[in-house]
Amino acid sequence: MNKSSAQTKYIPKDIVSWFFLPLFLLLVVFPLLALVWNLKPDGIVRTLKDWFFWRSFKNTIIAAFAASALGSVLAVGFGYYHLFHKNTFTYKLANLMNDLPAAIPHTVAGLALLLAFGRKTCGFISNTGLAFTLFAVVLAMFFVSYPLCARTIASGVDGTDREMVDVARTLGDSPVQAYFRIVLPLMGESIFAGFVLAFSRALSEFAAVVMFGGNLPGSTQVLASYVFTKVEEGELEMAVTASVVCILLSLIIVALLSIRRRKHA
Amino acid sequence: MLKVNGIYKAYGTQEVLKSACLEIGSEIKVLIGINGCGKSTLLKIIAGIIKSDKGNVLLREKNITHLAPEERRVGYVPQHPALFGHKSVIDNIRYGMRNGLGSEELLEDLLSMLGLNDILNKKPGELSGGYKSRVSLARALAPEPEMILLDEPLSDIDAAVKETLLPEFRRVTKLMNVPVLYVTHDPAEAEQIGDTFSVMQGGRVNDIDSANHAFEIIKKDKLISV
Repeated sequence: MNKSSAQTKYIPKDIVSWFFLPLFLLLVVFPLLALVWNLKPDGIVRTLKDWFFWRSFKNTIIAAFAASALGSVLAVGFGYYHLFHKNTFTYKLANLMNDLPAAIPHTVAGLALLLAFGRKTCGFISNTGLAFTLFAVVLAMFFVSYPLCARTIASGVDGTDREMVDVARTLGDSPVQAYFRIVLPLMGESIFAGFVLAFSRALSEFAAVVMFGGNLPGSTQVLASYVFTKVEEGELEMAVTASVVCILLSLIIVALLSIRRRKHA
Repeated sequence: MLKVNGIYKAYGTQEVLKSACLEIGSEIKVLIGINGCGKSTLLKIIAGIIKSDKGNVLLREKNITHLAPEERRVGYVPQHPALFGHKSVIDNIRYGMRNGLGSEELLEDLLSMLGLNDILNKKPGELSGGYKSRVSLARALAPEPEMILLDEPLSDIDAAVKETLLPEFRRVTKLMNVPVLYVTHDPAEAEQIGDTFSVMQGGRVNDIDSANHAFEIIKKDKLISV
């Protein structure tokens, strides 16, 4: 018996199921169940009657939709560079920056946005510049969600038959025309997936949103910051209800994505 | 007349083409060579898809070396049909005619010669391999290109269908009366479709008198490399 087969003999066959299932149940499923377990009828009623809850719900949907729409538009541009201009400085910089929002603390992202579009630079718009407005919430959500969309669209571009682009070029298309006429129409699935993933990420953003958009009830408060406020106020049952709504929203999005994927499979 | 002069192309330290030269009149020239010898690279340089490091391409005595593919009026048929999946057959074929290129008469001739009239509204996904190749050829020829480049267009097709397609491909490309460069590594295919033959060896192109001669040269090359 050689050395490697001797080593593999001592690795139990079920080792992955031994550690995966218990840890997954404990660290991923249990916390979510704990939320649902703590859902109380009184908390549900009081939350659903709270005007600020509905306002934060509306803000979340509007801002996340706008952020992911903006992200998708920019990601389509990134896809073009990914296909035709991989050796340019613009592409290399954009590609590098795609990893940055995921790597830095989101409070830092919020502070960066505050300094870029706050009172100092955009003071001519209002006393606080763009900060502490719903638009600031959109920008903060966009900043953290755009890279997901860009990466998804870049993967879609990689999956496109390059020969189709070459043929389109020989049939009179410039690179931009080939991209919009041939590549993008065949990438509906990737664009949708990118949008949905960005939307899902935007929904969950807290730190950057609070730093740049603030947490003004009825104005810039979103579901994530509503939960935070309710915990601070000692209204745990209302925080739990709002949290479950967040989870339901995410589940709906994930279900949408999987239904569409199954349809196109 | 298509003239290719001293084309040189290297990827890093690997030299793919070393002063490749080629001349094609209104004929079908078959370029034969082993896989990876640079045939497709040369074709793509002529089409403008890849840039050469040195050398030039002249079409009707006009230097087109620095023109983008969309400015060259080239009919390019790739190895896989690469049909636009979201468009119908007729929209695929008409794609290159958008800017007023080609004519309705030629289009009708192509459709009837290639037997495409009954499938015009189908999507590429509904077609067999043979029909996909026919549509790919019709799409390349409809805008009346000034040269035609075919990169092993029947490599995905089984032998029986190829037997039927080759005479059709020859008849249709001859109709255009422009330089045609056809790349293949199949000796029977080369003999059936070609008027003249060249072989690609060591990054250079040499004219030869028959397809069989090319394959003798290639066999020797392979033996030496083994």
